[in-house]
Amino acid sequence: MTPILGRILIVEDDPRDVELSLTALEEYNLVNEVVVTRDGKEALDYLYCRGRFAGRVDENPAVMLLDLKLPKVGGLEVLQQIRSDERLKMIPVVVLTSSHEEKDMMRSYTLGVNAYVVKPVDFHEFVNAVKELGVFWAIINQPPPGSVRK
Amino acid sequence: MVHWNLDVQSGRSPVLRYGFSVVCIAVALGVALIFQRYDFRDVEVPVFGIAIVLATWYAGTGPSVLAVLLASVCANYFFVEPIYSFAVSVRDLPFFSVFLVSAVIAASFVAVRRRIEDELRQARDYLQVEVEQRKQREQEVRSLNQQLAKRAAELEASNKELESFAYSVSHDLRAPLRHVVGYAELLQKHASSLLDDKSRRYMQTILEAAKRMGNLIDDLLGFSRIGRADTKKTEVSLDQLLKEVITDIGPETRGRDIAWKIGPLPACYADRSMLKLVLANLVANAVKFTRMRTPAEIEIGSVDGNPNELQVFVRDNGAGFDMQYSDKLFGVFQRLHLPEDFEGTGIGLATVQRIVHRHGGKVRAEGAVDQGATFYFSLPKTQAAAERTANTQ
Repeated sequence: MTPILGRILIVEDDPRDVELSLTALEEYNLVNEVVVTRDGKEALDYLYCRGRFAGRVDENPAVMLLDLKLPKVGGLEVLQQIRSDERLKMIPVVVLTSSHEEKDMMRSYTLGVNAYVVKPVDFHEFVNAVKELGVFWAIINQPPPGSVRK
Repeated sequence: MVHWNLDVQSGRSPVLRYGFSVVCIAVALGVALIFQRYDFRDVEVPVFGIAIVLATWYAGTGPSVLAVLLASVCANYFFVEPIYSFAVSVRDLPFFSVFLVSAVIAASFVAVRRRIEDELRQARDYLQVEVEQRKQREQEVRSLNQQLAKRAAELEASNKELESFAYSVSHDLRAPLRHVVGYAELLQKHASSLLDDKSRRYMQTILEAAKRMGNLIDDLLGFSRIGRADTKKTEVSLDQLLKEVITDIGPETRGRDIAWKIGPLPACYADRSMLKLVLANLVANAVKFTRMRTPAEIEIGSVDGNPNELQVFVRDNGAGFDMQYSDKLFGVFQRLHLPEDFEGTGIGLATVQRIVHRHGGKVRAEGAVDQGATFYFSLPKTQAAAERTANTQ
């Protein structure tokens, strides 16, 4: 198995949103460092190096883009799990969701999310948002110790 | 509480009552005779007294009179010299008189006491009935309360359902829409050079339609949020609020010739941000529907006349509307104009109505085609707001 170097962990169930996000990240050559998981369980499998991710290089992603509405394990549950784990709790997490609901936002911030971004309906804005998030968290920001580094 | 085992008085036959009286005196006579037989002296008076009291107590006034008479006769016959005769010597007259008087006094005391007892008993029975009724009423209130609680729970459940509906609209309708727009734009970018004009126009139409749908969803969500949000009422200066609204709309009025006529507006007690939305919608409508007028005239003022409510109006000289359709003006997504004439989703006036209704007020509109329109909204003057306004003047 080839080691997966994931600086950006995307947790997104919608394949079209995944494709649009990857399109956005193409521009900065970040695509090769993106790991896509399709539900909360898979995301946790990745972080804990279980299941199909057993044997990967055990380093945390520099940022995690997390959708809230996910099959099996919801985004907020994933967030809660990460924040209560000594080894994972420093991972920067950005919620990237369609939900405008104040309830979701409050809950996310209470659980210690680093940013909350509502997916813009406008395509350009969406692409820009993902691009800026990728650039900021994977390139500009200094990730906490234990993260994948360039 | 006293329990009456022997109660011949209330509701019993007179025979029984008078009979009881006779029996009492007979027993008393027997006892007195036995005492006399064994040479005890003067026992008859207290014994007869007891018999009279008993007869009065248990049998009532009539039998007590009978008992007094019988006791007198018996005493005279059996105990007063000469014995076994009804002859009364003058010397015994005071004794009989005193005996009679004392018996009557005792009987009347007992009768009074008895009457009080009866009244007390009646009062007690009455109270008992009252208590029963009260218990029943309490039971009714409790069951009504339970029904109310049930209804409240049902309402809460349906509210929750509505909330989750709005939530899924917000979350689930947006995603496919974003994809329609996103992929259409990607296609436009990749294939634009290969497409002919017609195809490019189709592509453009898809994009515009999708964006319009996005706006509709956003408006609908905003509208539903107004229904769910709590109103935070404070005292609001409508003058100040209107100034802000007109400043906000500034970019849209640039290059236009608009004659604003703004009258003094009252202060009111309302949710500030919601009320601002009301004014913003009405003013934006006035600006929009006077687009073809030079100069456009927009008048905002208040009507004073009703002591219980304040009324604000926004008048314009714009496109107006046919009064025949005035009931449709405030409906959600109801429009009276073609989209190519005046843009908009048709949510503005519905929002206005919803907010005003939530404040306990009313909305109405007057107008005629091509002769402008006037929109009125009223808000109740609450006591507290009125007082505060009076204090600041």
